[in-house]
Amino acid sequence: MKLTNSMAYESAEEMIFGTAKKPVRTKRGVEIGAGLVLPEIITHPRPDSERTIKSLLREFERANGDALERCVLVGHPAIIVENEHVFQMTHNSEWGMEIAAQTGRQIEEYHEKYGLEAAYRSTVADIRKPDMMDMRNSDRTLEVLESFDACAKFADIVSIESMGGKEIFDYCIIRNDISGLLFAQAVLGGRDMEWLWTRIVDITHKNGCLPGGDTDCARANTAMFMAGGFLSKNISHSLAALCRAISVSRTLVAFECGAVGPGKNCAYENPAIKAITGVPISTEGKTSACAHMGLCGNVMAAVCDLWSNEAVEYHNMFGGSTSAVFTEILGYDVAAMNTAIALGYEKEFQSCLVNSDRYRDQQSFILCPDIAWAIGKAVVENNQSLYSRARAAAIKCGELMMGEPRLRFTSFEKESLFDYMKELASLPEDEGDFIDMCLKKYEKVKGFRPASYGL
Amino acid sequence: MKFITETSGIFTRYDINVEVGRKEPRKISEDELLQKVADCLISGDEEEMETTIRQALRDREPMEVINKGLLRGMREVSRLWDEGVYFLPQVILSSDAMIAGIALCEKKMGKTMEKKGRVITHTAEGDIHDIGQVIVNALLSAAGFEVINLGADVPVDVLVEACKVHKPLMVTGTALMTTTMTAFPKIAMRLKRLGLEIPFVCGGGAVNEEYVTSFDLGIWGKEASQAVGMAEDALNGLGWMEMRAKWNG
Repeated sequence: MKLTNSMAYESAEEMIFGTAKKPVRTKRGVEIGAGLVLPEIITHPRPDSERTIKSLLREFERANGDALERCVLVGHPAIIVENEHVFQMTHNSEWGMEIAAQTGRQIEEYHEKYGLEAAYRSTVADIRKPDMMDMRNSDRTLEVLESFDACAKFADIVSIESMGGKEIFDYCIIRNDISGLLFAQAVLGGRDMEWLWTRIVDITHKNGCLPGGDTDCARANTAMFMAGGFLSKNISHSLAALCRAISVSRTLVAFECGAVGPGKNCAYENPAIKAITGVPISTEGKTSACAHMGLCGNVMAAVCDLWSNEAVEYHNMFGGSTSAVFTEILGYDVAAMNTAIALGYEKEFQSCLVNSDRYRDQQSFILCPDIAWAIGKAVVENNQSLYSRARAAAIKCGELMMGEPRLRFTSFEKESLFDYMKELASLPEDEGDFIDMCLKKYEKVKGFRPASYGL
Repeated sequence: MKFITETSGIFTRYDINVEVGRKEPRKISEDELLQKVADCLISGDEEEMETTIRQALRDREPMEVINKGLLRGMREVSRLWDEGVYFLPQVILSSDAMIAGIALCEKKMGKTMEKKGRVITHTAEGDIHDIGQVIVNALLSAAGFEVINLGADVPVDVLVEACKVHKPLMVTGTALMTTTMTAFPKIAMRLKRLGLEIPFVCGGGAVNEEYVTSFDLGIWGKEASQAVGMAEDALNGLGWMEMRAKWNG
């Protein structure tokens, strides 16, 4: 796999919501990144609906149908419907396939009847647990690939939140170990993605489906979740920001293997991915409060092509079901962005989104387009290895945070960041040396199998 | 792009407003080496801990090193965490150092230290997100409990069988997804049928109080850090109803 050596965007100023350098068109004819932002709704089934295929089909029929119906009722012109598989949908590939087929039929009915432009993204669950199985050779691995094959027949876009490196990541994140996080995310996660995405892309080519992209959800979002809000005492926010910068090296691998976007919504690293690759991206921000708290509520919309929520469980609210309500919210957010584009105010609108969160927290600061672009630039300029570019991204990220006087730190955060930077600077330059060091350091971590990553 | 200089009407940094100042750990022993043992534990320095413990064991009984060095050090770590000075990684590193220190003392004693009680931990079937369980395991082990860690994606039958065999004083269950937490009431029902009225602490991700308190035995664990206090309650003879009343209101 050739590691990327150039930026799709010459500067962050060029980047704007709704337009990507490399727009895509789904098999149902929906254009993404071609000048307008589209909403992407993700619904999640209620507990117990996963008991049988019949009850799960009915749950998704209602949830996805409510979203499509609400678009028509309030006049949203287009939507992407995404379902993130629950365990059973990937474990039994026909379950995921039947739900994809059913949603495809619903979308086509709405298109035929009302002209609603819609497409379906099926996100296969990565049910491989690194410390419990060989990532490349287990029953679960086969199930994941079978699920892609089954769903790609009916879905417009497929994605995954892959799990490589999670065993080392979990061990290191609760031990404040930045070297281990680099190893987990960039070296292990990147290698797992290369193995997996080569296969996913082959499957999508056979089925006329877009290979959307991956996300560092299992690692960088774990860090973000643990960092929590302003009163949380789990891990430092600076560490979560560095994990995000590191994740760019890893998430980029999908595109280096042939993914074309739209990038997965919960990849908060996507602004940097768009800067490097030019692919359209999906992002989520304030609309994810249904699933988790966040400090990047507005800034995440600054360069999005799809504006999404985090999975919202299907329930009834005063205003209808959650899927209908969130579709309405997302659609109006998108309408405001598209209105700004139509009026020529998009850069002003973008500036408001960015400034609302720029100095709120380290994590929101580094996802501003200019900072994300600079992190991306560090990635492509240090492309000797997955490790070297991730380390460079982390160092650049830390330098930018430390160099911004308007970004305020508690003394704990300041000391922590200083320590991380010192450690990052002390690491070997060469990936081989770094891997040797880490294989020794983490050899006793329960369930760690270097062979899962070809090491 | 223009960047603002005044953000007071946009957001408030409450973390800076309520920042806890640096607090030095308290001195816990007049004995220089035992103080050093505690210092290693408080700073989470596992490597230095091993050297220091070996030195301390030259002319001290292992139980003295445990009781007057390690346990007192761990109490200091708990205090610093409770007061908002320490963050989770500092506690985990101290736990690692504690476990390493105890292992050396046990080796010298030629037997394992008597544990306070046994706790079984698991992550629900179909769920592979077990970081919450990993934290619970570390905290319980450091607090002197025997942890039987069944890992992630644990079938109901396996968990129930383990409870039959090990008769723990408490069971914990972790789940990130609402579609996997449905295993919890099944487990509770099976345990009850077997007459095993074991407090069953459930937490993680989307798991909520309303759900967990809807079935017998269930106690909702909001944070992993509560696990030790709950295990202490179970050890002190509180039943699941009393624990639920205490922790879940």
